[in-house]
Amino acid sequence: MSLPTARQADLVPQQRRPKNQFWLSSIGFVAPGVLLVAVVLYLPFLWTTYISFTEYNGLGDPEFIGIENYRDMFADPAFLNSVLNTLYWVVGTIALPVGLGLLIAVLSHGLPNATLFRLPFLIPYALSGVAVGVIWSFVLQTNGALSQALEFFNLPGSELRWLLDAPLNTFVMIGASTWQGAGVNALLFGIGLQSIPKEPLEAARVDGASGFTLFRTMTWPMLAPLTTVVVGLSIVGSLKTFDIIWGMTKGGPGRVSETLALTMYKETFVNNAYGLGAAVALFLTVVTVLASILYLRRQLAHSRSI
Amino acid sequence: MIARKIVLAILGLLWLVPVYLLLANASKLPAEFGDYGLWEPGNIGALLTNMADAWDRGRLSQGIVSTAIYAVVSPIIAVLIGAAAGFAIVALRLRNGFFWFVVIFASTIFPLQMILMPLFVGYAETGLFNTRVGMILVYTVIATPFSAFVMRNFFTGIAHQVFEAAVMDGASTWRIFWRIYLPMSTSALVAIFILQATFIWNDLLLGLTLTQSSEIRPVITALSALQSTYGGSAMSTVLAGGLLVSLPTVILFLATQRAFSRGLSLGQF
Amino acid sequence: MRKKTTLAAAVLTAAALTLAACSGGGDGDNGDGGEGGDPTEAVLSFYTDKAAWEPSFDDMNAASEGTTATLDFTGYSDPTAYDAFIKQSFRTDDKPDLFTWHTGDSLAQLVEEGLVAPTTEIWDAAIANGDVTEELAENYTFEGEQYCVPLNVVYWVMYYNKAVFAENGIEVPTTWEEFMAAGQTLVDNGQVPLHQMNIIFEFVWFQAILAGLDPDAYNGLSDGSVSYTDPVVVEAMNIWHDMQSDGFFIDPGVTTDPQTLLQTGEVAMAYFGTFFTGQLTDLGMVSDTDYGIFTLPNVSADLDDTSVVVETGPLCVGAGSANEAAALDYSAWWMGVDAQSAWSESRGDVSFNPGATVTDTALATVTEQVNGDGFLQLRRYLEATPTPIYTVASEQFGAFVTNNGDPMAVLEAIQAEADAYWAEN
Repeated sequence: MSLPTARQADLVPQQRRPKNQFWLSSIGFVAPGVLLVAVVLYLPFLWTTYISFTEYNGLGDPEFIGIENYRDMFADPAFLNSVLNTLYWVVGTIALPVGLGLLIAVLSHGLPNATLFRLPFLIPYALSGVAVGVIWSFVLQTNGALSQALEFFNLPGSELRWLLDAPLNTFVMIGASTWQGAGVNALLFGIGLQSIPKEPLEAARVDGASGFTLFRTMTWPMLAPLTTVVVGLSIVGSLKTFDIIWGMTKGGPGRVSETLALTMYKETFVNNAYGLGAAVALFLTVVTVLASILYLRRQLAHSRSI
Repeated sequence: MIARKIVLAILGLLWLVPVYLLLANASKLPAEFGDYGLWEPGNIGALLTNMADAWDRGRLSQGIVSTAIYAVVSPIIAVLIGAAAGFAIVALRLRNGFFWFVVIFASTIFPLQMILMPLFVGYAETGLFNTRVGMILVYTVIATPFSAFVMRNFFTGIAHQVFEAAVMDGASTWRIFWRIYLPMSTSALVAIFILQATFIWNDLLLGLTLTQSSEIRPVITALSALQSTYGGSAMSTVLAGGLLVSLPTVILFLATQRAFSRGLSLGQF
Repeated sequence: MRKKTTLAAAVLTAAALTLAACSGGGDGDNGDGGEGGDPTEAVLSFYTDKAAWEPSFDDMNAASEGTTATLDFTGYSDPTAYDAFIKQSFRTDDKPDLFTWHTGDSLAQLVEEGLVAPTTEIWDAAIANGDVTEELAENYTFEGEQYCVPLNVVYWVMYYNKAVFAENGIEVPTTWEEFMAAGQTLVDNGQVPLHQMNIIFEFVWFQAILAGLDPDAYNGLSDGSVSYTDPVVVEAMNIWHDMQSDGFFIDPGVTTDPQTLLQTGEVAMAYFGTFFTGQLTDLGMVSDTDYGIFTLPNVSADLDDTSVVVETGPLCVGAGSANEAAALDYSAWWMGVDAQSAWSESRGDVSFNPGATVTDTALATVTEQVNGDGFLQLRRYLEATPTPIYTVASEQFGAFVTNNGDPMAVLEAIQAEADAYWAEN
């Protein structure tokens, strides 16, 4: 908004900022989304928050016990191990599926038949989780497809028990999740690349920039809005990782490959400690909200000026 | 150019290896499964037999129609709601836009598993339990934050002059949204649609929790029944069933690829 | 222009589909044969976590036609999600008429909350009629009253590959020494003797060995009168440890279907519940030709009776459900010979009703054996153990199967949880 209106605003103390002439429609446009998530997602969350301060086994009525669940949670060594595994997942997910997704998008951008080259990376996402779980257990079981292949090529590692030993099992499962997720990131990065205006790139190219320099100085900054989406979603997604672990090790053997989402699920539904499970869920949510806001505030504040 | 193609081709082939294993092992009859090595291919006849077996045993035909409705309707609504929210924040410069954005986005943060039980009780009390409307509603809500996030950021790439020029021409905000912003975002809209449609098609948790009768239940609940501990089917049948159920989403990805290759003219606005 | 029409069309289609869905949805078939109605007309809402059994329940609907109610089947594949669903459904108006559950602690919880209808009269009649043994009734008895009826019964026995036994010159073992000698022969010949898993069924070898070593100690663990660190339990654990050290078990990282492993001979034997027969049949394996079944001999030769572990799952009537009376009527029918013969035939499995015809000869033999003299039936570890203790035990056993660590550390960890549990209960 232009300067004169800002000055006017100073003269009218009650109204700190000028009224956006579109305020009514802006509320109208945002309202459906806000209302839907409020009713369907926030209400259940409030219930979960309440449950985390109670003892509840899924039957009868919850009994208020204050912060006891939280005390139990932090005293449990398995919980701390699951925090560590979750950290592996966050770092691994940002490094591998995001990094590879960017690589695939950049390499295929502008190629003739670019979509053909990107297709192999998208197929895994389209496959149903049931089939994916079975396939990866074929690959990663002891003496499974991976070990057989390593042996065939005389490579070391064929004797490893991929899914049995920690933290190896967490690392190979991050690998499986990379296989499934890199294509989606490449797709999103691809949209970002396509929306970059051609002219400045051409100008830079005329100025002699090429290859990595061109990418670093021109493409990467202009890709920021979609990078934010991909990294933001990856942080959230990796903190919540559940399906692939539940499908392959169920958090075991013992509890060595559990992440926070698994701990939460097992405490709640397997052990019927709904209160403790809810406490883990709340901890997970607070961590995720903080991580996202820290990341997004910087990124989005930056991109808003575009 | 060549180097890029080679790197992509090698990576791509590596990515297809598990897909090969899926096909190879889905094409072995359960009775003969042990005779093959994991890497050996089976045969087409066995694949078809396994698929037919999975189709019958899993009663996969029952949930197909419902699942198709959920996977088409919900993402369409979610894409529009998300785009509208993004439009309000970016183009209309909604006050405290970041706050409202976080409100919508933060809802993806709650682990889905934890909202299942309260959601179930809420659905049972409002009569939404075991209805298609209820399923469309919950899938729409689940898909909305992602959609809002992508669209919000996509719209920041559209110069605000586009909006101002349209206002000068006397267009209403609805018209600007519908006629200018949405058409400019086809690739993002399509991407959100296929990603969310795939997610919904493959969802198990919500389907298991919020539905009961076979005509309302999504197909994945039937597929996963093949894997039960008690009396579950052999792995090759499960794989063949998984492959069969995945065909629509794989085809969706193939069919929509053209939308991305068409090249975006966004920069020219 | 074209783009606009496409979008508009899409939105219209969406709206139309939604409307169609509204009219098509709804939980229509809410049984109309409530209290006092004709039970043969009633349609019972029926829930189970044994989703793969749907065809058998269809067969049962055919068998019950004109006699009692029919079932409206809803199957869950994830047992965890299923348990949570059933519990929460009692908070709503959609209480299940009939549902499958687990015996032991889980059923005790439902009974305590008054969520399942008592079935004492049905049991009394069935026992008088010889449809079911009194031993089995213990699984369903809480403070003198019975709840639910048995859905099924499973005997835990040893399946073996006949060809592998023949090639290695092994006879079916009748004593523990013979069993261990057979295992050693197989190991010496480069064969893996036994199947084992580190999830779901990680506890079964602890159960098998201790039940065969000291059944009283085994039972004592479930009521806290015996400690996990008592010498006899330690001995059982050490036997298991030695068997693992001697290469008796397949690596638990091998997740190929157990039926396939037994078929190919990658394992010579697999200790499983009798439901395993169905999975072998699916692979085209023929009982008594390709594979055989024997009851695992006792570890201790001093015991009079051979210990056999029995697993039974209940079929329960939701208290206060829409069709409670019809569901109870159905439960009574379920225990009878007609229903059980139909069930046994459809599942190709054993039945709890001694009068039911079991078509598979190997299974028929086992059923007759374990219900006759010289056998002692024990509850399966999963159902016999209080849930919090079981949770820790399954984690500890899972790790033990995987790494064959220190047996004492495993037992101490479980006992720590048991101490905490029995202090409060």
